[in-house]
Amino acid sequence: MNTLLKIENLHATVGEKEILRGIDLEIKAGEVHAIMGPNGSGKSTLSAVLAGRDTFTVTEGRVTYDGRDLLALSPEERSWAGLFLGFQYPVEIPGVSNVNFMKAAVSEQRKQRGLEPLSAAQFLKLMREKMATVEMDSSFSGRGVNVGFSGGEKKRNEIFQMAMLEPRLAILDETDSGLDVDALRIVASGVNRLKRPDNAFIVITHYQRLLDYIVPDVIHVLYKGRIIKTAGKELALEIEQKGYDWIIQESE
Amino acid sequence: MEPQFITNPEGLVRIAQETNASAEYLVLQDGTGASARECETEYVISLAEGASLKMVFLSLGGPLLRNKLRVSLEGRDAMCDLAGICLADDRQEMAYDILLTHQVPQCHSTQLFKNIVGGSAVTRFNGLIKVVPDAQKTEAYQANHNLLASDTAKAYTRPQLEIYADDVKCSHGATIGRLNPEELFYMRSRGIPQAEARLLQQMAFCQEVLEKISSADLREKMLAIVEEKLHKLSNIC
Repeated sequence: MNTLLKIENLHATVGEKEILRGIDLEIKAGEVHAIMGPNGSGKSTLSAVLAGRDTFTVTEGRVTYDGRDLLALSPEERSWAGLFLGFQYPVEIPGVSNVNFMKAAVSEQRKQRGLEPLSAAQFLKLMREKMATVEMDSSFSGRGVNVGFSGGEKKRNEIFQMAMLEPRLAILDETDSGLDVDALRIVASGVNRLKRPDNAFIVITHYQRLLDYIVPDVIHVLYKGRIIKTAGKELALEIEQKGYDWIIQESE
Repeated sequence: MEPQFITNPEGLVRIAQETNASAEYLVLQDGTGASARECETEYVISLAEGASLKMVFLSLGGPLLRNKLRVSLEGRDAMCDLAGICLADDRQEMAYDILLTHQVPQCHSTQLFKNIVGGSAVTRFNGLIKVVPDAQKTEAYQANHNLLASDTAKAYTRPQLEIYADDVKCSHGATIGRLNPEELFYMRSRGIPQAEARLLQQMAFCQEVLEKISSADLREKMLAIVEEKLHKLSNIC
């Protein structure tokens, strides 16, 4: 199978503080990887670095995505190349409507991928279809991006955006946090519907709960900026029952 | 009611709204005509009982624009709604000096002025709401928001209230800021190029003022003009 993402010895800092301290990770097309770990272990930093957030500085290591040097690309270039980050805290953009936001994103994506632009009617149809898959009411399209959305609505909006952009590698940063069971089911089925042999997912989560719905091929445990354990999907249950301490002790 | 257009005025503009009259004016300063050179305009405005007036200013071009507004609410139940956008770049300077006086009870006024300042441009907002001792039940609001689009741009703002009556609702406020980097990153992460992400945010910033234009047709036209000007502005910085 094709390697989609290869992370080698990745170190990253914010200010003086080193958050990622040598991450190695390889993801092949068709796979779902879960990243778990206690608070402050670097999970969100890893996803932000992969998406190109400039508040973090990569000090060492390399990331190859689809044969390209990912770290040399701007955030928008990464998106054009098929990378998607589902934000833990989706950003509110007052004054920019969901529909205008998605129109700008989709038309640029299509341009960059050498596809014909969609007509207004085609775009709205696509938007309606994808909103239906996450059970979002169409009244959301005219509202400001995430403005006044509940926690669950924001997360569904992330999955909706992902469905519109059809990424090859989606990183979902604690998409399950703050969701009730119904919202969790909607979000998970949105993800499962997008799974294909040629794309891959990184699912960052605290809880085994999400992994009941989105079944990972591999689970990694991140601790103090390093991956200290990699195992199959049964690890999630073990973590749920016993916490992280035994894994941390094992690694020290 | 169709808004009336005033394009690139200079010198004195006098507007006297008589009893129960209502009007809407759209003032466009686009860097042509009188606004192509140093341009100072004084607006002397009075509103009689029950009169209402809306003015939307679009200051989009010109090396030096000075707009001086003297507004006097002289009859009960008069309503005055002022709003404006300054888009300044290069070495342009755009200034608003506003004195709005509530002379009698029970009038209503709002001011909303928004500036985007790029290049080495300067904007100045000097606004005073005055409420005389007799003018009870006044409602008066004033806001000036500034977005700096470059490191060398400057925005000065002085919102002021002078209130001599005791039964009034008044507020004033001013902000000076930059585009929100979190919003920019969020948009870029969805594939929207940086320049376009900035433009979307800047248009969103102007939206509130443009929405005041009551004719949909005219609003669309002005929106397009503002967008075109912002395109140029974002290419510079």
